[in-house]
Amino acid sequence: MLLLLCWLVPAAWAAQPFGTDLKGRPVDNLAPSGSRAVVLFFAASDCPISNRYIPEIERLAREFSPEGVRFWWVYPNPEDTSQVVRSHDAQFDIHAEDVLDTDQLLTRMAHATITPEVAVFVPSSDGLREMYRGRIDNRYVSLGQERPSATRHDLEDAIRAVLANRPVAKPGGPAVGCSIVPRNLP
Amino acid sequence: MKILHWIWILIGLGACALPGLLHPRPRVHAAESRVTWSRQIAPIVYRHCAACHHPGGAGPFSLLRYQDARRRAPQMLDVTQSRFMPPWLPAPGYGDFADSRRLSDEDVDLIKRWVESGAPEGNPAEAPAPPHYDATWQMGKPDLILSVERPFTLRASGTDVFRNFVLPYPLAQTHFIRAMEVLPSTPQIVHHANVLIDRTASFRHQHRTNWRDGVPGMELEVDSGNTFAPDSHFLFWKPDTPVLVEAPGMPWRLDPGNDLILNMHLKPSGKPEIISAKIGLYFAEEPATKHPMLLQLDADSELDIPPGDRNFVVQDELKLPVDVEVLGVYPHAHYLGRVLEGWAMLPNGEKKWLIRIPNWDIDRQSVYRYRAPVLLPRGTVLHMRYVYDNSDDNIHNPHDPPVRVRAGNQSTDEMAHLWLQVLPVHVPRDGPDPRLLLEQAWMQHRLERRPGDYIALYNLASASAALGRYAEAATLYRRLLSAHPNDARAMNSLGAALERAGDNQGAEQAFTQAIALSPDTCDAGYNLAALEVKSSRFADAEHQFRDLLLHCAADAGIRSGLGVALQGEGNAAAAREEFQRALDLDPENFTALYHLGELAIESGQPEQAVDLLQAAAKDRPDDLDTREHLAMAFAQSGRAADALSQLRDAIRLSPADASLHALLSQVLAGSGELQQAIEEQNQALHLQPNDPDGWNNLGVLEARTGKTAAARSDFEHALRLAPDHAQARANLAHLPPA
Ligand code: HEC
Repeated sequence: MLLLLCWLVPAAWAAQPFGTDLKGRPVDNLAPSGSRAVVLFFAASDCPISNRYIPEIERLAREFSPEGVRFWWVYPNPEDTSQVVRSHDAQFDIHAEDVLDTDQLLTRMAHATITPEVAVFVPSSDGLREMYRGRIDNRYVSLGQERPSATRHDLEDAIRAVLANRPVAKPGGPAVGCSIVPRNLP
Repeated sequence: MKILHWIWILIGLGACALPGLLHPRPRVHAAESRVTWSRQIAPIVYRHCAACHHPGGAGPFSLLRYQDARRRAPQMLDVTQSRFMPPWLPAPGYGDFADSRRLSDEDVDLIKRWVESGAPEGNPAEAPAPPHYDATWQMGKPDLILSVERPFTLRASGTDVFRNFVLPYPLAQTHFIRAMEVLPSTPQIVHHANVLIDRTASFRHQHRTNWRDGVPGMELEVDSGNTFAPDSHFLFWKPDTPVLVEAPGMPWRLDPGNDLILNMHLKPSGKPEIISAKIGLYFAEEPATKHPMLLQLDADSELDIPPGDRNFVVQDELKLPVDVEVLGVYPHAHYLGRVLEGWAMLPNGEKKWLIRIPNWDIDRQSVYRYRAPVLLPRGTVLHMRYVYDNSDDNIHNPHDPPVRVRAGNQSTDEMAHLWLQVLPVHVPRDGPDPRLLLEQAWMQHRLERRPGDYIALYNLASASAALGRYAEAATLYRRLLSAHPNDARAMNSLGAALERAGDNQGAEQAFTQAIALSPDTCDAGYNLAALEVKSSRFADAEHQFRDLLLHCAADAGIRSGLGVALQGEGNAAAAREEFQRALDLDPENFTALYHLGELAIESGQPEQAVDLLQAAAKDRPDDLDTREHLAMAFAQSGRAADALSQLRDAIRLSPADASLHALLSQVLAGSGELQQAIEEQNQALHLQPNDPDGWNNLGVLEARTGKTAAARSDFEHALRLAPDHAQARANLAHLPPA
């Protein structure tokens, strides 16, 4: 798969913000100083598989935030307005940094197609380098094919590898969940 | 350079993820065959998807409106192509099921064409009205609503949770249930649920301290008690069929003291969820007239699956002893099951498929009901064949790496069950309950496979006893006891079988041993006392009953038994007191009513006797002694007509009972119907010719009608049979000389 090359994107995009936060303020810097890695978690409030991963992403955030890993919860679907996401956050007791991907720039930047799906970047002098993109773990094999629990934790392994400057393994299988809804439907 | 990247990515992404939108749509279909939401897709979705995909339903989103569906169009294409949706496991052509959710190939193709042509709406006026769903009871307010005692909080994440909630049936009367609805409060997290009837509240007693919070566990066993009441219905809840309506004549029974157990398969959603399920019950007006039964094929004992084995096969078969109709089927395995098959080989060699699931998935398990009952004649052999995959290719494998797996109740153990709901048909009028024959065949078969199978041996023995084969039952209980010598319940059952077989001595020995094995259980003590009453050892019986009073819960049976013992010892006053206590505990206790009635007759209080015996007769309308006594009470209280009708009813039930005819004769005589009285007495003597009292009574009647000669010969007959018969001698002396 060609897309698994390391992509380089700017950490701060001068011409256009990446999206907005829930108050409508632009998000234009994904990696404030001190960030050693950036994780984008592509989520959808009405996707059951995405929701089932909330506790896992929170676990990883708790574990790795102190080490300089920055977690962003990215909502790419048009239905996920700030009001919807705010009430979803309240329902699921989520305290995270949300980005509404209003133009799906982040979606395209990370090549995300599914929720839930994640991308891991490292900041470098000339921008953000994509180190990993894909599934969080191997619990879901395909729609309707589910392990009782995950036996491989791809995202966690990727973060550890990044922090240890080791090579990052590719995901062992596809991301499974709900297709991201394109914003440009007729 | 970065900009270039962007453009490249944009095209690349579009080409990978949204082929349908960018590739030109094939133009093979003419304009009029354009597939639109309004014309073709909405009807499909409303019929096959909306039951789950509506606001508040089990599906993650609604598909009721065009906007909803358009947004999900690419996914709808995926899930229908892969046949992930609608969830449906059985292969087509292997059993014709009433509730088949499977989409036809044409429908799948229509959805494909619709999505690939840009998911157009068409003319909204052509769309059918969306179905309407209500979050409340679909059949209106139930007659009885049961709620779980304490809401349960499902954790936010982790493996699926199997939990059992006990809902005691609170009513004091039996009801037949024609329909049941489960409201799981949060349908999205309930995969499916099974409702079990626990006839003896055994599960609640096993989990005395924690049943209110729900008990974890995928499978459970309940004790069905001492009466034969086989499970009869699949009470299986799945999200798109919240109401289970039983076929006419086939409601299921709930008795006072029963529990319902709601066995739920729950899926964590990402946030803690509170479950406070309710079960709504709708009562039938009439009791059941048809009695189905659940039969099980199983191969649990063969389950010993080596790690890495992808093709582990187990089988079972069972020959039907009676004609049945199969109404439904419920295949069950855990996470390693791959191919599940069930079929029937008819006596004529024909093979009938019952079900085939090529890709088992426990998450999508279900009960399947046949569109039309499948008739299987006696002699048919039922088969099951299950294939298991214990390799790491099986993504459901709960063990990583795979380990050896055997049968068990945990979700990480395995199971191999095929349940069938069968209705015996062509049942001979005077034959035994066909369900007992099914139970017997089933348990016999289980024993052949596993000679040490405790439950099978116990159930087989009980079925034999219920079929009246007491000697056979006793042999089976003895076999059970040789393996489990300390089993007090089996020992007690052995005693009961021996007693019925006429071996009172053996019975007494067994009851005594059962008491020694388990001094706290009351059944054997009660049986022993009752046996002592039967053999007129009233003092022993009194002693035994008093012993029971000390350590058994207050029980009308013990009180009335003690009363009978006291009555036998001639202590009517004390007996009366005990009967009264029995009635305080249970106003319908038959023994107490009957014996109090008898005592009332003896003490010259016939009106009181009438009330008591009428209540007793209501409980046991076929009991002849009760009717006989009731007739006597009527006669004594001057209600000859009532007495006559009682006796005539009783004679209809038992035409060859001489004492009934004799009694009828006396009542007729009392109301002046001498001619009829003579006829009845003749009838009695025809049935029982060696009864000196009878000949004497006939003589009296004939003397009263002036037939002196006949009377003389009757008294002489009585005296030939009993030369000391004082009455007959006196009567003879009173006759005018010939
Ligand atoms: C018996 C209930 C039921 C029926 C009927 C049903 N679905 Fe579903 N559907 C579900 C559930 C439950 C899920 C969520 C799957 C999960 O939790 O993994 C789902 C998920 C989906 C998804 C999203 C898959 C995902 O997780 O991203 C789509 C799309 C879908 N269904 C379409 C359909 C269509 C189209 C039909 C009719 C042809 C249909 N469903 C019929 C219960 C149902």
